[in-house]
Amino acid sequence: MMRAKLPAPGALRGLALAALAAASPAAYAACDAGPGVLRGSTPRVALAFRTTPPVIKVGELFSLQAEVCPQDGVSVTGLKVDAGMPAHKHGMNYQPRVSHTGPGTYTATGLMFHMPGQWQFTFDAETPAGRERIRVDYTAE
Amino acid sequence: MLRAAGLNAAALLARGLVFLARGLVFLAAGAAAQTPPVDYSPGEIRSIQSHGPWPQPVLRDPSNRASGNADAIALGQALFFDTRLSPRGDLSCAGCHLPERALTDGRDRAQGGGASKPRLDRNTQGLWNAGLGRWFGWDGGSDSLWSFSIRPILHPDELGASAAHVARLLRSDAALACRYANAYGRAVPPEAAAETALVDAAKALAAYLETLVSGKSAFDELRDALARGDAAAAARYPADARRGLALFAGKGQCGLCHFGPNFSNGEFHNIGMPHLVEPGRVDPGRHGGIRRVRADKYNLLGEFSDDATRASGSRTLHLAENHASYGQFKVPSLRNVELTAPYMHDGRLASLRDVVRHYSELNEDRLHQDGEALLKPLRLSEQESEDLVAFLRTLTSRSFPDVNAAPGPCKRRGQG
Repeated sequence: MMRAKLPAPGALRGLALAALAAASPAAYAACDAGPGVLRGSTPRVALAFRTTPPVIKVGELFSLQAEVCPQDGVSVTGLKVDAGMPAHKHGMNYQPRVSHTGPGTYTATGLMFHMPGQWQFTFDAETPAGRERIRVDYTAE
Repeated sequence: MLRAAGLNAAALLARGLVFLARGLVFLAAGAAAQTPPVDYSPGEIRSIQSHGPWPQPVLRDPSNRASGNADAIALGQALFFDTRLSPRGDLSCAGCHLPERALTDGRDRAQGGGASKPRLDRNTQGLWNAGLGRWFGWDGGSDSLWSFSIRPILHPDELGASAAHVARLLRSDAALACRYANAYGRAVPPEAAAETALVDAAKALAAYLETLVSGKSAFDELRDALARGDAAAAARYPADARRGLALFAGKGQCGLCHFGPNFSNGEFHNIGMPHLVEPGRVDPGRHGGIRRVRADKYNLLGEFSDDATRASGSRTLHLAENHASYGQFKVPSLRNVELTAPYMHDGRLASLRDVVRHYSELNEDRLHQDGEALLKPLRLSEQESEDLVAFLRTLTSRSFPDVNAAPGPCKRRGQG
């Protein structure tokens, strides 16, 4: 047992995401699953996003491109993006900047996971009725 | 009788077997002490591999046009050891970053300007492998190695120089002027542009510091051996260090912050260290560093950066200022940590054993309310503490480049 073949983190996450996607409500028009797509939802809003680079490296800045898909009758007027390590009770050391890039699409830059372990993205989709908070877990290695 | 004799024979046989078994156990234990087992689990191997390979390449700094330039490196080396950089003529960079002390000074807090100047608030950090960092200083108050080099030159309690003084030195010394001209393709700027000379000098110093990469350690040799499946070479790693390594990666969770090939995630954490400098005055740590780097006209978003895209300033641009950063200090690299005592931002811990004791007996009440929730007292036994120290000692490089090697004489290019 001198050599251990490392699991491909992206591949494992892909499988996990596919499973999540299968369990998600199918009522949303877009926010489809796909390679490298992470997803989360509330009963009123779904969200899908990709990160650049696709596998987040600890200590390296990354960005993400998000698509927000509201249920019929819900309008989303903005998106806030943040992340933290719930078990460590801390957030990121960097403040992402979010720009609205098109109908339902947003780009966030300036994110960094500075430790390996379990992180959680927090997306706050702003609606006239209040915010819809979507959380998505991510393991940084 | 027979029966009794049979019983006795059986008892003797049983005793003999027990004796034999004990002997085998003893022999096995002896063999284990001499030849550490090498059956590392996949998780252990993965953890070990994450701390390499070593050495890491130091990438060219796009904000510093002198980065990787041999002439600038020679200029930086000359300046590093030149006491004339101080107007008093009594202190150089090497006066605190002593080559014989792994580029630190062995003091708890720096005495930058000599005995006549006050002690500084913090411990002198080593410079080996500094080129791999992204924030510089215990508070990360500088975002590049060259802007970090400007600070001690100008600080009144350190070298205490001015831009004009640096420009005059570069102009007045033929060898320095020659190296400057070769490095930057022009003569040292006149008095009116002294700040350019200062920044260029700092960029040359940074180019030199980028070359200070230490060699492989016993840990790296273990890592390499595991990577190529060489059990015999892996077995040479000391047994106590291996136990310490298991603690480091396992129970201690040290690798979460002391992450990657340089054993630092390059960021800032509150580990419950007191940050009272003196009665009535605290060291704000990273909180102050964020403010300082934002206000620094030499930061990566400023006019002195050579990165036209300013992409290298993205971290500075996105810095989050929050109260949790109060009392945080930079996670130091653990490479060569054995050589850089004393420890912590104010050098209050004299030995590695003291550092391990800190984490073992951690006073959670001392942790800032926003300190690392991750930190809990490790409650290490004496043996475990010794093992952890043994592991840390295997991070000492077996070789270092000769920082004292003088560059050859300077010949001005294009001058015939």
